[in-house]
Amino acid sequence: MLAKNLWTRWVLLAVALVMVGFYLFPVYWMYITALKTNTETFQNPPTFWPHDPQFRFAEVWVKYGLDSYIKNSAIIAAGTVALVVILGTGCAYALARVRSVWMDLVLFTVLMMQVLPSSLMITPIFVAYNQVGMMDWPRTGVVLAQAAKVLPLYIVLVRAAFTQIPKELEEAALVDGNSRMGAFLFIAVPLARNGIMVTAILIFMQSLGEYVYARSLITDRALQPATVGLQFLTGPNASDWSGIMTYSAIYVTPILILFVALQRKIVSGLTSGALK
Amino acid sequence: MLRFDRVFRDGGGFDTLLVMLALGYLVVFSAFPLIYNVVMSFQEVDLFSLASFDRPFVGWDNYSEVMGERVFTPIFWNTVQFVGLSVFFQLTIGFGLALFFQQDFPGATWLRGLFLAGWILPGLVVGAVWGWILAGDFGVLNYVLQSLGLIEGKIFWLSDPSVSLYSGIIANIWLGIPFNMILLSVGLAAIPADVYEAAELDGASRLHRFLTITLPLMRAQLGAVISLGVIFTLQQFDLFAALTRGGPSNASNVLQYWAWQLSFEEYRIGQGSVVSVLMILFVVIVAFVYVRSTRNEHAG
Amino acid sequence: MIIQRLLTSAAFAVAAVPALAETVTIDLWTIDRPGEYHYVMAEEFMKANPDIIVNVRSVQFEDMVNDLARAVSTGDAPDVTYIDNPEVALFASRGLLLDMKPMIDKSSVIKPDQIYPGPLASVTYEGGIYGIPRGANTIALYYNADMYKAAGLDPDNPPKTWDELYAAAKALTKPEENIYGLAFSAVGTEEGTFQFLPWLQMAGGDFNNVNTPGAVTALNLWKQFIDEGLASPDTLIRGQWDSTGTFNAGSAAMSISGPWELPRMSEEAKFDYRVALLPAPSADAPRASALGEGDNVILANTDQPEAAFKFVEYMYSQMPRVWNEFGYMPAYPVDVADPKHAAAYAVFVESMKYARNRGPHAEWPKISKAVQDAIQSTLTGQAPAEQALADAQAKIDGVLGQ
Repeated sequence: MLAKNLWTRWVLLAVALVMVGFYLFPVYWMYITALKTNTETFQNPPTFWPHDPQFRFAEVWVKYGLDSYIKNSAIIAAGTVALVVILGTGCAYALARVRSVWMDLVLFTVLMMQVLPSSLMITPIFVAYNQVGMMDWPRTGVVLAQAAKVLPLYIVLVRAAFTQIPKELEEAALVDGNSRMGAFLFIAVPLARNGIMVTAILIFMQSLGEYVYARSLITDRALQPATVGLQFLTGPNASDWSGIMTYSAIYVTPILILFVALQRKIVSGLTSGALK
Repeated sequence: MLRFDRVFRDGGGFDTLLVMLALGYLVVFSAFPLIYNVVMSFQEVDLFSLASFDRPFVGWDNYSEVMGERVFTPIFWNTVQFVGLSVFFQLTIGFGLALFFQQDFPGATWLRGLFLAGWILPGLVVGAVWGWILAGDFGVLNYVLQSLGLIEGKIFWLSDPSVSLYSGIIANIWLGIPFNMILLSVGLAAIPADVYEAAELDGASRLHRFLTITLPLMRAQLGAVISLGVIFTLQQFDLFAALTRGGPSNASNVLQYWAWQLSFEEYRIGQGSVVSVLMILFVVIVAFVYVRSTRNEHAG
Repeated sequence: MIIQRLLTSAAFAVAAVPALAETVTIDLWTIDRPGEYHYVMAEEFMKANPDIIVNVRSVQFEDMVNDLARAVSTGDAPDVTYIDNPEVALFASRGLLLDMKPMIDKSSVIKPDQIYPGPLASVTYEGGIYGIPRGANTIALYYNADMYKAAGLDPDNPPKTWDELYAAAKALTKPEENIYGLAFSAVGTEEGTFQFLPWLQMAGGDFNNVNTPGAVTALNLWKQFIDEGLASPDTLIRGQWDSTGTFNAGSAAMSISGPWELPRMSEEAKFDYRVALLPAPSADAPRASALGEGDNVILANTDQPEAAFKFVEYMYSQMPRVWNEFGYMPAYPVDVADPKHAAAYAVFVESMKYARNRGPHAEWPKISKAVQDAIQSTLTGQAPAEQALADAQAKIDGVLGQ
């Protein structure tokens, strides 16, 4: 692979840029709409650059109090990831290592749990929370429900990461006098760390976007995440589209930058991993 | 005590404990809502009796009513198409991109990260943006296609009953690509490079290497990504709410959106729950196939 | 004697205490955001009544009914809430709303006979009054006077009948310039029903009688608008706000929508826009218009009915402000000094006289759904108007139990 000449590498880069550009067009459209007036959004033919760009970032930030929303989003997403990693990693490991009808049944059940959209799950959850008094800790309630929603995803993906680790490495560790738990924590988990981290990040980002549970369970504005706040820019007879896109740009941009920076480490680190 | 400790540390007890931790959690938080939905599908439920189990049982009435709806069959086939086409294209495009970015060129990993944008945009925004792109009159897609001379008149992507479902599928494929690509990238990166090198020395062609090395070694990843893709696609709700609301005239309606419409727009909650139960059955089949496929998995 | 005096003084003490020290709290749900109507009203009311605290919570418009129903069944309901007018009957029929009639009869503020017939009908259910309109809105025909002139039409003489509307739309449509004659909404939601119902009512039908020759004519006219390219096919999936967006952008010469469009239009539309009454089937046909906006209602199980009613009274008394400050039409005739968008306001005030309620019926969403289905299946060509409306009538009869 390293022998590839320079010319091919630049052609590949050019192709990659075209593909990324093509894929990111909707994201570009989000940014550009943020700068348009509401009417220009509906102009025919469409404009690829606003006539009279209006920068409403500061206005939207202050008017809708994004600092509190974004803080809550981060708390909910971080809580969900922590809970899911603690609950799911071991399960994924066991499912990858042990082959039996029982484990098949477990995997089957785990997948089954993810079938319905949140919008159909929320009513029973709401009723149950109400019965047990969970509504007094609404953010925790959202974390618990969201963790249940993404746990199957985590288990299935991390399980796949564990299956790729050669059993021999662990067996060697066991022979060296490690306990099962030791082999799991000190051999298997570090080897699967990339899979775990990528999945954790995917879950973090998905939980940032959680809307249905948060809007039903959290009634106090000071505890609501950004997705709930965003919804209030639309109304029955009026939607502030440029405001919505500005709002969304404000909270998507930092995550995007962070992820691009992070994933460079994660995914590129894979090729120099222990398995090479 | 000592024996328990040994079983826990070295025997199957350890695995059981790990599994039970997650499974117990899921039973409490996910199984309950599912069962609740199943129970409601046999009851007469209205908006105000949602919170109590004390509701009249009506047997299979809700089922026969839902199956008897004229729109049931088209919506069912729409769902099959939506899931099948979405998953197929998400996977092939995602896999293609993963393979492409696996190559060594400047900025490869950095550019790959940008694809995640699709994963983090809020549902409301994705729906609105695709709504504008696909709009018949002022939409960018028509504008570009017309400027390039690819189409004559305008295509009404969202309001023409013969294409509106496919518009939803296009937007959903866009949403699913990052997930497929990033996970398959991780899987690809975990394949030891020396396996390829050995094959290359043997003179195996690119395609041959892909078929005999990459695909078998990616089996676990592919199985996971496909089955999760099916489930995610079945959960796709925001797009329908934003793009077409299942219309016009149910032309782009799918089970998950219909279930919600029945329950929360028409307040026919028992019938809406029937549709949920049908979706559960759908996933039972998918989950079964997936679990079977893991039997022959390559395990390192 | 002594005992009696003791009792009297005790009763006096009890009666006096709440006014002096004890504050009561009422929970209010609204679709407004901070700074809008209910937040402003609550703020002012609390200032005037230091012993009453109003807790405001925002709920999304489309979630209101479901959230409220869920809250009622789990015992977590607010004391006062906003409900969109067609939903009042649903909640009233279940006994979930407080019948305010006894209190209104004693009230010096609320006079039901002042209220326009449409809004009043929306809160009346089986003789009781279950809500007080916080305002109202209705729809009319916006038109681009500059385009009228360019097309050789008289901008001072907008279409009054359906035939004239069709002719004007035809004259104004300019496919080569991407201009449609008319923008409206036939979306498969409550908005579609909202837009279609006045057409149905003007042609002699109503929600319980949709399969009339007039309704067939109306629906076929809608179909003609789309089939002949006088209105965008996206009319089928677009709400009123986005449809009128194309009018503001100069891509449609006329638009059917309500007064809520005016703030955006006055800022962004770069042409001479005007408003006319919704055209009728013929010059002498009865007029009708849609009735929108919602009502302030009190939940039946509130423990603070007096305070809640006092708050509702206060909001009612502020009706003269709603147009200029919040953009709703007043629900009873008031003198608005120096109204914003004066010419448009005059047309909408006139239109309010013809505004008719949707329903009322406890199962309104099902009726509305049947109407939406008829609209959508006709406009997509899946069924002729006659058959689509007959299907709708059958469904509606089922709901009405006929």
